[in-house]
Amino acid sequence: MKEQEESLVSQGKARLAMVISLGLVALLSLFLISIAYGPVPMAISDVWNSVLNIIKNGPQTSSERIIYHLRMPRVLGAFVVGMGLAVAGAVFQAVIRNPLVDPYITGVSSGAGFGAVIALTTVTIVSSTWSLFTIPIAAFIGGLLAFFLTFMIAEGSGGRAINYVLGGVIVGMGFGALTTIIMMLSEDKIHQILFFLFGSFTNMSWENIWIISFPIIILSIIICFYARELNVILLGEEQAQQLGINVRKFNIFMLVMASLLTALCVAFVGIIGFIGLIVPHTARMIVGGDHRLLLPASMIIGAILMSIADLIAKMAYVPIELPVGAIMTLIGVPFFAYLLIRRGKGYAS
Amino acid sequence: MPVDNGLSISSSELNLYYDNYHALKNIFFDVKPGEMIGLIGPNGCGKSTLLKTINGFLKPRSGIMIVDGKEIHKSSLTEISKTCSNVPTEFPPDFNLNVIEVVMMGRYPHRKGLWWETEQDEVIAREALAKFEISHLSKRNINQLSSGERQRTLIAKAYVQEPKVMLVDEPTSHLDMRFKLEVMEYLRDLMEKERGMTIVIASHDINLMVKYCDRIILVKNGQIVGIGTPEEIVTEENIADVYGVECSIFKDSTGEVIVHPRCSLRFKD
Repeated sequence: MKEQEESLVSQGKARLAMVISLGLVALLSLFLISIAYGPVPMAISDVWNSVLNIIKNGPQTSSERIIYHLRMPRVLGAFVVGMGLAVAGAVFQAVIRNPLVDPYITGVSSGAGFGAVIALTTVTIVSSTWSLFTIPIAAFIGGLLAFFLTFMIAEGSGGRAINYVLGGVIVGMGFGALTTIIMMLSEDKIHQILFFLFGSFTNMSWENIWIISFPIIILSIIICFYARELNVILLGEEQAQQLGINVRKFNIFMLVMASLLTALCVAFVGIIGFIGLIVPHTARMIVGGDHRLLLPASMIIGAILMSIADLIAKMAYVPIELPVGAIMTLIGVPFFAYLLIRRGKGYAS
Repeated sequence: MPVDNGLSISSSELNLYYDNYHALKNIFFDVKPGEMIGLIGPNGCGKSTLLKTINGFLKPRSGIMIVDGKEIHKSSLTEISKTCSNVPTEFPPDFNLNVIEVVMMGRYPHRKGLWWETEQDEVIAREALAKFEISHLSKRNINQLSSGERQRTLIAKAYVQEPKVMLVDEPTSHLDMRFKLEVMEYLRDLMEKERGMTIVIASHDINLMVKYCDRIILVKNGQIVGIGTPEEIVTEENIADVYGVECSIFKDSTGEVIVHPRCSLRFKD
């Protein structure tokens, strides 16, 4: 058996290199395809030349301006948000030691939804730069507030991973109820509210991209440094502590990082479900459970899946845009059902 | 502060509480390096609690626990992780981990690089797989293992941690009689070859403990009620007192001691 001879570490490095290079090829292709398909279709070869030209000289023609101002930020937004939610999902699954949780488990999405709805219904949008960010800021604060409440409840009740799950459920329900009440009272804004609650990349601009991409990328990289600890944590809290990890501190640190990541992701594009659940799963099937491969693979698959879902949301029913969160859920439901049926017995214990 | 008492584990006047519940009462015992100790007693008597106190996971309210010359509750987690390792009863849910990945996690306390294990880590892990005869399962998903293979994987993980003291909680509970014997043989073999490694096993299987352990610690209601050789501790009186079970103890044709439970004293008129 030749495979046995080669060292695991070099096998791991080779697989990581393969994941990254295949991933980059896929992302580049999706980048071009996403730019080519829109209400005004373009040929892929033209897109390639236009993108090169934009990089060299800035946008000149009207189609280059469409590419530069609308389509490029949109696909890049889908990439970073998909990546961030996938990493956050992988972290939550490891820390809570349950492969069926998603990044919204600590109530971040409900809090963000609540924040956004409050901003949408109470703040009249004046056309200054800051008002563009009113909703994202409110959503971000709402998300962090929800996590903070979950944190207080969880730490007050023992601070174990399961306390975070239960705390998150309670907080999520509370914010969900408040959101529903506000929605009922503001029928005129219901369309915008639903747009946020189901997510959309329509409003992605370069300003948004700059604001979210750096923190998302930095947080994801920091999390990658803890890949070995995330592996060990899978053995259980006692085992991880026994191997030298301060589990309590590590869990809090990871939950804070992943919740920040989640809040950043939902703030600008709304609540897109399922991606943070199914991407780490898919990655686990492809590269296995070792987080040193799992996290990079999740990032890439997350970006790929999110941009595909956005492409469908954009193109399925032209000229009407469908909410990308709903598309993602439609992709996710059969996948999830399949997972449960095929492997659900393992989750019961 | 290092304490050179020549003992592997030494505990004195140790008391541990869960909130107001007095779980371990005035625990005194010494274990010499290279001993195999069986921890027996009824459900809820404090066996697992005692194991978790030896590895520093639970903090006693008073008293001290010295493991390999270190006061364990004042040691750092990394120090503890190089001193004690334990073989857990629980197993991770399905995260698609394979056998060699789990065994390699035992090298975490000895990590040098940031991300990848060293060549040496891998040599040690492969040796452990060979030692416990699971090399052929190296790439198998751990959730597809039989109970015996699973137990050997966890022991291999504890072994590559290179501990001075190995703590094993209920190693044989789900195993059939052949695997029970094999797991105990592996542990015994390990202890004899790794000179100075101490193994403490908590178990309900008194016959196995009598067969394989050097000494037995008998625990009842959070107190140690007896320490000594299997012959000294496992007597009909002690079993009746601690477990509330009437039993016969006899030797089979090969001279091995057999404990045969006859009936619960509660149902005896």
